Amino acid sequence: MVDWLAMTIQMVSLAMAGWCLVSTFRDQPMVVPHLVGMGILWLLVLGQVVATIVTMVGGDRPAQMAMFVSYLATVALLPPACAVWGFMERSRWGPAVIAFACVILPVLFVRLEQLWSPGV
Amino acid sequence: MSETATPATSPDRTLRTGPGRVLVAVYAVFALAATARGGYQLATRFEEAPLAYALSLFAGVVYLVAAVGLARAGRTSRTVALVSCGVEMVGVLVVGAASVFLPDVFPDDTVWSNFGGGYLFIPLVLPVLGLWWILRVHRMDRN
Repeated sequence: MVDWLAMTIQMVSLAMAGWCLVSTFRDQPMVVPHLVGMGILWLLVLGQVVATIVTMVGGDRPAQMAMFVSYLATVALLPPACAVWGFMERSRWGPAVIAFACVILPVLFVRLEQLWSPGV
Repeated sequence: MSETATPATSPDRTLRTGPGRVLVAVYAVFALAATARGGYQLATRFEEAPLAYALSLFAGVVYLVAAVGLARAGRTSRTVALVSCGVEMVGVLVVGAASVFLPDVFPDDTVWSNFGGGYLFIPLVLPVLGLWWILRVHRMDRN
């Protein structure tokens, strides 16, 4: 786990959530800039996932390996899955899906960090 | 632009449009969370609290059925969604009450313990929203 990258992802994710909530309240559907934002977020997450896998291959592994890997797979799949599901909806509820996903993502990263270095 | 404005042409699709789309996303995440949690705990620490872990797994399966029922078009899937949301409502209330009044029965937490308090009470709110949405779409259909 790269700490500064995890922190950046959490900040970007919360910013996306705020932006999408504003869109929801303004009754706007998902537009291409939302998708670009989700794309950037996804790239950051994938960067973190790859960096973590490289570290794990290098021998530095968390105690609860299976649990950690399942969380890692979830964070890698959540942004694209929710982006597609939200973009299919052409109403204000599309951004609402993204807002939900972007609130869940930082929580998942908190769990990932707990599993990576328990007790710190 | 908006499919909800013309429900007469495809009435069965309305369950997954509008607010229903957010519900499906939330249900899918909870299905994953509860199933993974229950499955992992049953596989690694079965003897510690078999009932609690089995309940987590059961909750995960109910969430999964509800998500699929909400996401699919058709009258049957609407019934499936209605029943699974009902099971969930009963589950979170019964398990929540049991975990508060009979803590010995649940040595370890489940998704539904303390009325879903470990998950920001979302498990308590979710079936209410689910049932409300299904009944609302059902009423819109009849009119």
